[in-house]
Amino acid sequence: MRTSLKLASAAIGAAALLPLGVTTAMAADGSGNANLAPVALNGVNGSGTAMVTVKGDVVSVTLAAKGLLADQPHAAHIHFGADARHECPAAADDTNKDGHLTTTEGGPAYGPVVVSLTKTGDTSPSSALAVDRFDTAPGGNLSYQRGDITVAPEVATAILAGQAVVVIHGVDYNGDGKYDGTAMSDLDPKLPAEATDPALCGVLKAAPVGAMATGGGGAAAQPEQGLLLAGGALLLAGLGTGAYVVRRARTQA
Amino acid sequence: MSSLPSLHGRRGTLAGVLTLVVGLRAHAGPPAPPLSRVAATSVPSPTDAPTDPPTELQVGQSPSATAAPAAEPDLGPILPASIPVTLDIPSIGVHTTNLVPLNVGADGVLPPPTDYATAGYYTGGPTPGQLGAAVIAAHVDGKSGPAVFYRLGELAPGALVHVTRQDGTVATFTIDTIARYPKAQFPTQLVYGSATSRAEIRLITCGGAYDRSTGHYVDNVIAFGHLDP
Repeated sequence: MRTSLKLASAAIGAAALLPLGVTTAMAADGSGNANLAPVALNGVNGSGTAMVTVKGDVVSVTLAAKGLLADQPHAAHIHFGADARHECPAAADDTNKDGHLTTTEGGPAYGPVVVSLTKTGDTSPSSALAVDRFDTAPGGNLSYQRGDITVAPEVATAILAGQAVVVIHGVDYNGDGKYDGTAMSDLDPKLPAEATDPALCGVLKAAPVGAMATGGGGAAAQPEQGLLLAGGALLLAGLGTGAYVVRRARTQA
Repeated sequence: MSSLPSLHGRRGTLAGVLTLVVGLRAHAGPPAPPLSRVAATSVPSPTDAPTDPPTELQVGQSPSATAAPAAEPDLGPILPASIPVTLDIPSIGVHTTNLVPLNVGADGVLPPPTDYATAGYYTGGPTPGQLGAAVIAAHVDGKSGPAVFYRLGELAPGALVHVTRQDGTVATFTIDTIARYPKAQFPTQLVYGSATSRAEIRLITCGGAYDRSTGHYVDNVIAFGHLDP
């Protein structure tokens, strides 16, 4: 009865596997994903994704976004502040009530710039407005990838802890296809507000851990082998042909 | 046991045994696509459009001699954010309304809908039609029989998935691949992180063997699709 032996050992194996739990998040390495959505009040009709992979204090960043003002530089940053709310700003953050959110007004939500997502050169906060080194969103589409960005340890930790926020800046309130307007930037009085106000925003979050428990078992396969063994034993007792039954069962299974 | 064969030679016994076998096979459980092996280096990447090489910038006064205008990255169609309300998958007879939000718990795990008859969507991801991977999950069965995603394993590449959203628009996705993964090797990155350059969908349920000792299926069945224009 090799079949019954197999079944027995399979059962023991399954029992031994039971304690296997879901793997917990890594301490130092990992990744965060952000779903970039239009910033409240700022009128961008687009969306984006950000993926940040952390290895120690080195991060690599992939960004994609649609619906941005085409062919204009879009400053993009990772924001984090220990005292920030670790979220994207809401309409209530419009403290001067002018109907738009500036980068400064978003500060309580996402904190200061900690990484400038430039295409080349420096990535520190001092490049936050290096407009000639940011992606220009050809056709309104932005696709960005850069690795080997060194960050402070607390920033790496914040990214994995769901506390860092990716913001892409640059809007077109008056819909004329360029950065202009009488309102000037809160960050650089030489730039129009349109060039620096936040467009898309998303909080970097670790993906959900592990698998999903999406079954109750009510329509699971019947434990046919066990029943067949019982049936086989019955036949064995009654007919003396148990071995044949089991052989049939194995070829059927 | 009325089907017990009488002793009329091997042929009669065989017929009886086959009857018994068939009779005991109430059903074979939910349909299951082949099991995928999730080796670190051989994870199939069925869903993500090739990531555009980062277009080297020639903004402003770039000294680069290649002065061609920056190519527009192809990110496919997208829709504005709007939460999903109804899910229709005609090829496997799915029509389910009142999708529920699924929030990651304190343990980091995404719980399934509490109601076996309801599908849910992952609130931490994009809504269906936004750039990135929107995740919808539902049970394969409940305690007493098939549930919303019982036939998910039957989905074939090319099948259409329609998600009606709160804003009234319908996001239609085409299935690219369907695969089954051991839960212990759940392809987290493939599900949640691989769609960085187009709008995609993931449909998740359970599959494989049902472990009666734990009360759980051992695998997850996952369908991957992308938004149609």
